[in-house]
Amino acid sequence: MPEIPGVLKGLGVTFRTMLKPAVTVQYPRVKEQPATRARGVIALKEENCTVCMLCARQCPDWCIYIEGHKTKAPPRREGGKPRTVQLLDRFDIDYSLCMYCGICVEVCPFDALFWSPEFEYSEPRIADLLHDKDKLGEWFETVPDYEPYEVGSQAKVKKVPR
Amino acid sequence: MTAISERQQRGYIGAIAAEARVNVELETEGMTLNIGPQHPATHGTLRIIAKLDGEQVVSAEPVMGYMHRGYEKLVEVRTFPQVTTLINRIDWLGNFANEVPFILAAEQLMEIEAPARAQYIRTIFFELSRQANLMLFLGDMGVQLGAITAVFYAFRDREHVLNLMESVTGGRFHPNFDRIGGLKDDLPKGWVEECKGAMVKVRRFCDEIEELLMGNEIFETRTRGIGVIPAEVALGYGLSGANLRASGVDWDLRRDNDYPLAWKDADFKVWTHPDGDSFARYWVRLQEVRESTKIVDQLIENIPAGPIMAKVPRIIKVPAGEAWVSTENPLGEMGYYVVSKGDLGPFRVKIRTASFNNISIVPWVMRGVYVPDVITILASLYFILGDIDR
Repeated sequence: MPEIPGVLKGLGVTFRTMLKPAVTVQYPRVKEQPATRARGVIALKEENCTVCMLCARQCPDWCIYIEGHKTKAPPRREGGKPRTVQLLDRFDIDYSLCMYCGICVEVCPFDALFWSPEFEYSEPRIADLLHDKDKLGEWFETVPDYEPYEVGSQAKVKKVPR
Repeated sequence: MTAISERQQRGYIGAIAAEARVNVELETEGMTLNIGPQHPATHGTLRIIAKLDGEQVVSAEPVMGYMHRGYEKLVEVRTFPQVTTLINRIDWLGNFANEVPFILAAEQLMEIEAPARAQYIRTIFFELSRQANLMLFLGDMGVQLGAITAVFYAFRDREHVLNLMESVTGGRFHPNFDRIGGLKDDLPKGWVEECKGAMVKVRRFCDEIEELLMGNEIFETRTRGIGVIPAEVALGYGLSGANLRASGVDWDLRRDNDYPLAWKDADFKVWTHPDGDSFARYWVRLQEVRESTKIVDQLIENIPAGPIMAKVPRIIKVPAGEAWVSTENPLGEMGYYVVSKGDLGPFRVKIRTASFNNISIVPWVMRGVYVPDVITILASLYFILGDIDR
């Protein structure tokens, strides 16, 4: 069989590609859904946070700022002593510093931090990327359920506390 | 007629020549050409000072360090679990492969071993990151030589591999998935089937690029016999990975070393090429992607059931000691020398990256080549700037 010259081969590819649909999507109008586990943004469930500061300490570039105070809450049973609870005053994540490593989500012992695949939160100014606990709480609505595991896995599927 | 001295004569001819702007004696002046630090043909900020004589390179000297980020110092002030998120970014294309040698070194110091399931998944991800890395090379080599289509094809089909990584680790480029003693999470349901499908697509990409690019006459003319590195020179400069195998040295740490990983359970061939030129380096990497898909196919069939995490204390303190682990990364041998003093973080980490040694052969291999071949040789040596400077 005679060799087909490279030019003709290349033109053949061009012609074939012309008949195929595009693999890309027109982003602002068409959106692709990221994977469920995608590390898009960190969401906070404020009620679960006990101001233990583990996440702020374990963060590799120290971009979490937490402040809190102690207060008395009514007792669980009648006649008991009032409980001491920690209340969150400030929970800020500086997304201009965040490396999206997920260590804070992993070390949280009280299930207060979650990953959400939400990714559209760019800002024109870099200082605006410091998000407070209200904004992080809004993102908690977008947290998807954990996926079931593959056959052979012994890990337990956790639940998102809604 | 008075006889004129030789000196006068030369001066006379010189004056005419200056007017005509022609150097009569053809003594061309040397010229220094800076390729980089900002240049479309470098994948980052590598600068090459090339001294030219006409079209030929007399000497070439790579200048590194424009992207030095000081990883070895950065990891000293971080704890062991925090280190993986940093070292992801050394070779940003072979992301997961960066984590494995460090974690293995830490595990060696702690005298623990990851469970079999974690070892298998680690190996699979190691190979996936090898594919993601080398597939980009297969297209990138084309774009350096003027064939733009190849790089679009590479980006298109590399997406299949990156999607696989994202659906498990959550990150396309920075998985940060490896933990001391195992892995962060298990595979989600349906991933194995997805992975098998993606491997078929990767193999199809290899066939496509072989037919389209490697069979092309222009590509062959521009790469065959360009930048020949004999085996003994390659060994002398400390080349590793595909650059060394393309010179005919049968050397692969995956096969030769004994790791607590699953390569020993897979049957794969280590491809070598006797030529040692740019074409050989391209060919070896193409075969490597194919072999890599075969390894994934074999391993994914029999991932053992079980836990993915060994018993590790919640606060990881690595006992005092020193460990050196190096693995066969997409670019070559990458290793970490970890010194621990029993603290939360490493005392000192020495990182050996493949690109640093691979690029050090540039002054040797570029003597006497023509300027367009500089780009071919640089592309075929295949370095990642983050891997050189780290």
